[in-house]
Amino acid sequence: MPEYSLTPAAPLAGTDITIAQTRLLAPADLAVVSVALPLGAEKAAEKAIKTAFGVALPEVGKSSLAKDGARIVRLGSDSAFVIFTHPTPDAERVVAARLKGAAYTTDQTDVWVALDLSGQNARRALERICPIDLHPDAFALGDSARTMMEHLGTLIIRTGDDAYRLMSGSSSAGSFLHAIETSLSNIA
Amino acid sequence: MSQINRISGGQIDRAAEFKFTFNGKEMRGHPGDTLASALLANAQRLVGRSFKYHRPRGIFTAGSEEPNALVELRSGAHQEPNTRATVTELYDGLQANSQNHRGSLDYDLMAVTDFMSPFLSAGFYYKTFMWPRAFWEKLYEPIIRKSAGLGRLSMQEDPDIYDKGYLHCDLLVIGAGPTGLMAALTAGRAGARVILADEDFTLGGRLNSETLEVGGMTGADWAKEALVELAAMDNVRLMARTTVYGAYDHGVYGALERCTDHLATSGGKPRQILWRVTSKRAVLAAGATERPIAFGNNDRPGVMLAGSVRSYANRYGVTPGQQVAVFTNNDDGWRTAADLVAKGVHVPAIIDVRDAAAVCDVPGARHIRNAGVVDTVGRKGLKSVTLTDGQVIPVDCLAVSGGWNPNVHLTCHQRGRPTWRDDISAFVPGHDLPPGMAVAGAANGAMTLAAALAEGQSAANAQIEALGYKPGKADLPRAEDEPRECVPYWHVRESTKRGWLDLQNDVTVKDVKQSHREGFRSVEHLKRYTTLGMATDQGKTANIPALAIMAECTGKTIPETGTTIFRPPYTPVPIGALGGRSRGRDFRPYRLTPSHNWAKENGATFVEVGNWLRAQWFARPGEKGWRDSVDREVLATRKSVGICDVTTLGKIDVQGKDAAAFLNRVYANGFAKLAVGRVRYGLMLREDGIAYDDGTTARMSENHFVMTTTTANAVLVFRRLEFARQCLWPDMDVHLISTTDGWAQFAVAGPNARNLLRKVVDEAHDLSNEAFPFMACGEVTVCNGTPARLFRISFSGELAYEVAVPARYGNAMMDVLMQAGQEFDATPYGTEALGVMRIEKGHAAGNELNGQTTAHNLGMGRMVSQTKECIGNVLSQRPEMVREDAVKLVGFRPVDRDRGLIAGSHFITKGDVANMDNDQGWMSSVAYSPSLEHSVGLGFIKNGDTRMGEIVRAVSPVHGTEMEVEIVSAHFIDPEGERLRA
Repeated sequence: MPEYSLTPAAPLAGTDITIAQTRLLAPADLAVVSVALPLGAEKAAEKAIKTAFGVALPEVGKSSLAKDGARIVRLGSDSAFVIFTHPTPDAERVVAARLKGAAYTTDQTDVWVALDLSGQNARRALERICPIDLHPDAFALGDSARTMMEHLGTLIIRTGDDAYRLMSGSSSAGSFLHAIETSLSNIA
Repeated sequence: MSQINRISGGQIDRAAEFKFTFNGKEMRGHPGDTLASALLANAQRLVGRSFKYHRPRGIFTAGSEEPNALVELRSGAHQEPNTRATVTELYDGLQANSQNHRGSLDYDLMAVTDFMSPFLSAGFYYKTFMWPRAFWEKLYEPIIRKSAGLGRLSMQEDPDIYDKGYLHCDLLVIGAGPTGLMAALTAGRAGARVILADEDFTLGGRLNSETLEVGGMTGADWAKEALVELAAMDNVRLMARTTVYGAYDHGVYGALERCTDHLATSGGKPRQILWRVTSKRAVLAAGATERPIAFGNNDRPGVMLAGSVRSYANRYGVTPGQQVAVFTNNDDGWRTAADLVAKGVHVPAIIDVRDAAAVCDVPGARHIRNAGVVDTVGRKGLKSVTLTDGQVIPVDCLAVSGGWNPNVHLTCHQRGRPTWRDDISAFVPGHDLPPGMAVAGAANGAMTLAAALAEGQSAANAQIEALGYKPGKADLPRAEDEPRECVPYWHVRESTKRGWLDLQNDVTVKDVKQSHREGFRSVEHLKRYTTLGMATDQGKTANIPALAIMAECTGKTIPETGTTIFRPPYTPVPIGALGGRSRGRDFRPYRLTPSHNWAKENGATFVEVGNWLRAQWFARPGEKGWRDSVDREVLATRKSVGICDVTTLGKIDVQGKDAAAFLNRVYANGFAKLAVGRVRYGLMLREDGIAYDDGTTARMSENHFVMTTTTANAVLVFRRLEFARQCLWPDMDVHLISTTDGWAQFAVAGPNARNLLRKVVDEAHDLSNEAFPFMACGEVTVCNGTPARLFRISFSGELAYEVAVPARYGNAMMDVLMQAGQEFDATPYGTEALGVMRIEKGHAAGNELNGQTTAHNLGMGRMVSQTKECIGNVLSQRPEMVREDAVKLVGFRPVDRDRGLIAGSHFITKGDVANMDNDQGWMSSVAYSPSLEHSVGLGFIKNGDTRMGEIVRAVSPVHGTEMEVEIVSAHFIDPEGERLRA
């Protein structure tokens, strides 16, 4: 038996900042698994997703919440993310098992870092870095978009009235946090 | 000095007082003042010196078109040159200094240039400083640079911060005068998302400067009511102090918001924000700019635009003089006289170029018809004006109106050309507007108040109706169509003295005539030759009069003469605002490898590779330079085992029933038959057959591959594969997703690599050479169950593996590998040692795959399959690409082993002259090989593969070096590949 063990250290773990009643929090143990719909077998894959999570695969640019709290984000015609809380490094296997081979899955957990931005200044802070129109009429609850913020590819999901989940590449986590934190302090 | 020119009324808060200094002299003003209005209130007429002749100049306008009143604002690092006093809001403690003079403002030593003016006319520099040629750089240019220019930079780093942002709306209304307010009210009431932006700090535009009534109240009061209503609408965003400076594609507008410029300090918040406004539609309600009439010595402090004089009187409660004459070619000039007299200011005369009846009754003012001003007196401040009939009128201010020009600038930002309207003697927007833009009000040539309100409403209604909103019913507030008759009259011909057109660049009527005489017939040439319309004001008050004079000279009409093109920005945008947050470390994002913290704690020096920071080497105490560290890392790895974080290589997950077939098309070599559990080196070609990228791809299962790319091309390759999947072969079931950041990957290389990994990889996995041979791959677990991937691949040429764990375990994994490797003297190595070992092994990298080389050049020609369809294989077979004498990648070593090879050297056959004709190829990569104890190199040379042992010259004219080198195999280390298969 190897005598060594590995301790995980996610890039933004523990981040919890509040500026002017607006909170920036790194959700703990967030797992991300990508799901790709096989060409010609999309219907079967969609059915498998419905069976596995109890909600239908949403339209592109939308997300839906499963009963167990998992969020399914449709990124493109043949791709989606399943985002859920799962501490151990086997998220892909969990999702693959539930989909029973009806879709291709890739573990994306460590590819991304997530920051949850919520509170009165959330939208105004994002105005400084997010090219997407976040007006409530234009970006409804559950809507998602892939965009660039401060040169960083970012996935944004509207999770509440004044709440957004932002996800970007884990290797540039420091720049990502800096971008959002700067926005918050610039408008505070 | 007290505010002796302060009169009644105005939108200033007389209850509060601000102290400020001008050239160190303390003055007082009120909230609501601009620096210009406060200076005028304090009877400070002389505020600056002109650009070329250092002529005394005063405040000319009351807005952003100001050519004269430029000051250096604030002090120390905050000092900003060329700030227009007319748009600078007064704040308590403001410090301003005049600029562009040597010595004091009153006694500028450079004013001598004015007496030399007969020699300094248009084109002077071009004609005078041509010879002797050698004098230009050393003598003329430094002198000119020293004496020219306006304000001075602080030469310190800008201490303020700036931000950028994105806004979206249905309707962007540019300008918040009567037209813009009416447009915003109309669209806002209909429920459209509206942004109303104006450069001024008080919205309302000319309504704040006029006494005209709207809806039974003063225009200013109506504006205030409109703003209250607009502010209460959730769907309307009011943006004061925000200049929309440019109209770009797709309804995008650039806007600069000045957030803290009106405050003593920015308080750590962004001073300015550069907004990118994405609009579905826009209404340009930018109003109009008054233009002057040129006459002798019309640049004296005290000669001002008539509408601006009215602004100072009505909005700021300031009269620019005690005896103010009006000189006009239109009805509007008369209102200045009437408004001043109503405020108790003496107006001795209204000089109208027209032979027409009085426009209105102005008590106490003589109406002098059919006359003009030929000259003025008063070097540092106007004392009198002389008329065409010779009479002299003592005045301390002359209000001049030559008519109004619609502000068409933003309509031209996409090459739109304005059209001429004879009835108002002005250019109005043409028909080729930026898509989505409508123009209304004075900007559109609707010069009266009632017409402006009506156009604002109708333009907004048309715009929002097109977006599906129900237009509001016409309920225009009552307003008058004030008299606006205007005759074309550009300069006083009887004047023999210099008549100034461009006050900022000191361009006179004479200069325009002279440039015409010298053959400059195009307006664009006129502009460049005379510098007309350049610098901070971009000729807002100068262009049209100059154009009219040019037209006179050519005998053409003004529209035939044409205009120069307007480009963004409308008014100056500070470089700091364009930079935004992107400065210092945050100039661009940085990417860290998973073991970054470990590397930092262990003495790593980092190098930027794209956005990545990679460990370059790990210095140890006693090492004298980077070479010591790198040599040690190479030797230790080759002797026992070394560890390197190679996470930065691109990783792409490829899945699908057609994944193998897909890879077989994107790689030049075969991938269809790669066995599960095996890795293969792959070479990608461009469509034209040039080598594109290389890497390894592992088959994890029947339909699942993991591809690696070079660090530099990770994103490009991913994008290219997505293009191939979506556009070239949409019928293939293949899915791609990047996992570069998801896996921390470490190269473990050296004879003890397997022994080290056996301590880390869980026992269930057999790492023996038989069970896990060279180019094997598989899913394993490490350190008691952490999922991992293991690849037996080697860049160093040693027995080597790459082990990948989820990125969150990366730092810990590095630590564990080093702990477990202690008994083998394991060493971490950086990118330098990585580079040395790959050169020793003869592996191509970025220097070799430089976008010019083919597989044939790289010695991999046989890898390119001709039995399958793949990107680049057809064009790679063009005759020129496969010629026998093509350059081939081979190794080089110096004949004198003590010499260091130089990358970039070119190869010349012994005895030949070192020139392009005799060029045989080039050295692409070099390194000192600590294993061989001499310099080694890789390079491309004609027929290289057949010239082993030949001695050629490596010449570098750039370095001034030349040495003899021997052509050898590129595989300096273990050419048979025994080590990596061990």
